[in-house]
Amino acid sequence: MNEEQRPDKLSARNVSVMYEKDDTSFLAVDDVSMTIQEGEFVVIVGPSGCGKTTFMNTFAGLVRPAKGKVYMDGEEITGPSAERGVVFQQFALFPWKTVSENIEFGLKYRGIPKEQRDEIVKKYVQLIKLEGFEKSYPHELSGGMKQRVAIARVYANRPQVLLMDEPFGALDAQTRTIMQEDLSGMFLTEKRTVLFITHSVDEAIYLGDRVVIMTARPGKIKKIIPITRENLIPDRRQMRYDDVVNLKEFLELKADIWGLIKAEILEKHIL
Amino acid sequence: MSRSAENFWDKVYREKTVLSLSSVLGFLALWHLATDILGLMPAIVLPSPEKVFFTIYEKILAPVGEEKLFGHIGVSLVRILVGVGIALGLAIPLGILMGWYEDLDSMASPIIEVLRPIPPIAWIPLAILWFGIGLGSKVFIIAIGVFFPTLINTYIGVKFVDPLLIKAAQTLGAKDKDILWEVVVPASVPLIVAGVRIGVGLGMMCLVAAELVAASTGLGYLIMLGGDDLKPELSITGMILIGILRLLADRVILRIERRVIYWKKE
Repeated sequence: MNEEQRPDKLSARNVSVMYEKDDTSFLAVDDVSMTIQEGEFVVIVGPSGCGKTTFMNTFAGLVRPAKGKVYMDGEEITGPSAERGVVFQQFALFPWKTVSENIEFGLKYRGIPKEQRDEIVKKYVQLIKLEGFEKSYPHELSGGMKQRVAIARVYANRPQVLLMDEPFGALDAQTRTIMQEDLSGMFLTEKRTVLFITHSVDEAIYLGDRVVIMTARPGKIKKIIPITRENLIPDRRQMRYDDVVNLKEFLELKADIWGLIKAEILEKHIL
Repeated sequence: MSRSAENFWDKVYREKTVLSLSSVLGFLALWHLATDILGLMPAIVLPSPEKVFFTIYEKILAPVGEEKLFGHIGVSLVRILVGVGIALGLAIPLGILMGWYEDLDSMASPIIEVLRPIPPIAWIPLAILWFGIGLGSKVFIIAIGVFFPTLINTYIGVKFVDPLLIKAAQTLGAKDKDILWEVVVPASVPLIVAGVRIGVGLGMMCLVAAELVAASTGLGYLIMLGGDDLKPELSITGMILIGILRLLADRVILRIERRVIYWKKE
């Protein structure tokens, strides 16, 4: 298949979402249309509270749009599915289950026999470098470890699409860099379609094929910036994060994207 | 921790034990003083502590009514265990189902809201009418006492499970039934156990009340008999034993609690 003409994996058509809070409802997402191709890594950035998470949750099937529709492989999304795995901002690990049991959770519902499940769990425990912690409970782990388990739990379930909501937001800078490099590596070896939300422009450029910039609430798409092809940082995922963020091309892109977000913040007086 | 600090805490601990012990002994001494020495209270109103302890010792061997002391303890214990068992067997499943299925909630809630505020003791006459004065009526009263707190806590536990965990399970492919058993029930265990603890406490009160009214055995009967026969030492014996029983029950439940919620941060 030609690189440039991969089929659409996810698409949103004229999606608007209303949100209820304290008896008043407001528009969280306003008429957003976009497509994500199979095997593509798309990152959404935007001001706080701009409806990024809400928009992602329509793809997850956890939020129903008030208007418009969301599709996977051309079929309308009407509810959650194991084919669209979600890594939540707050980890959402099952506290009464061990690291292994958390990673194993989805596999049971896929009808995978026990021995095979054990093998998969072992593989992912190695991948997230938590050997020796298989029998630990979430409350015994650090924030970075919990986040790795949350990612492994979704990866092990082999969804066709990964939806990641600020998965590294709660981590310290050092752990975050390691996790970004891990994810980058995993994305290369386990090619999946990814939609990723972040506050960090650096992270967006390092990980994404395209960066979607959303406006302040109600969220609309302000601009979509392709990273891979036109801007030519094709091999960055094989490079170390610290090296990539100092490239000239990287700094130029960062300035562009920051400019757009800053304009948005100033324009809508968010600060 | 340094050695001197360790010694310091050891000392505090020792001092605490010493303080606790001396206050208990002081209490017994005052009691002894008021009854045997000063005679402020006649023995027919308040027997001396020695007399109470002697009664306990004596009744281990000599029967009171139909049973010896351990017989009465055993009878009460059986009643409470059967009552608690029946109540938990009904309240926990019903609470889980009501918390999960909204239709069932709408159907059962009005009935429960009407029955719940009635003090369990108010059921005693009906219980005797329906189940006689044997085991049945006591078990019924105790079960009513245990049932409602357990039911309410289970219901709340299920209703307020972190929605994020449910969403996580859904996006991992779990269906509604799997989510109920694999996520909702384990997540509600801490609240369920807390409800059981409240329930058992209330159940013990119901036990005594039921045995006071219509029984010829059990600790409540001993307490009642002491009053009727003007043997207050018998009443005090029953009171001390029911207190110990409740203390033990609480300890056992705490043990169980620590076991089933091993995954919670201290």
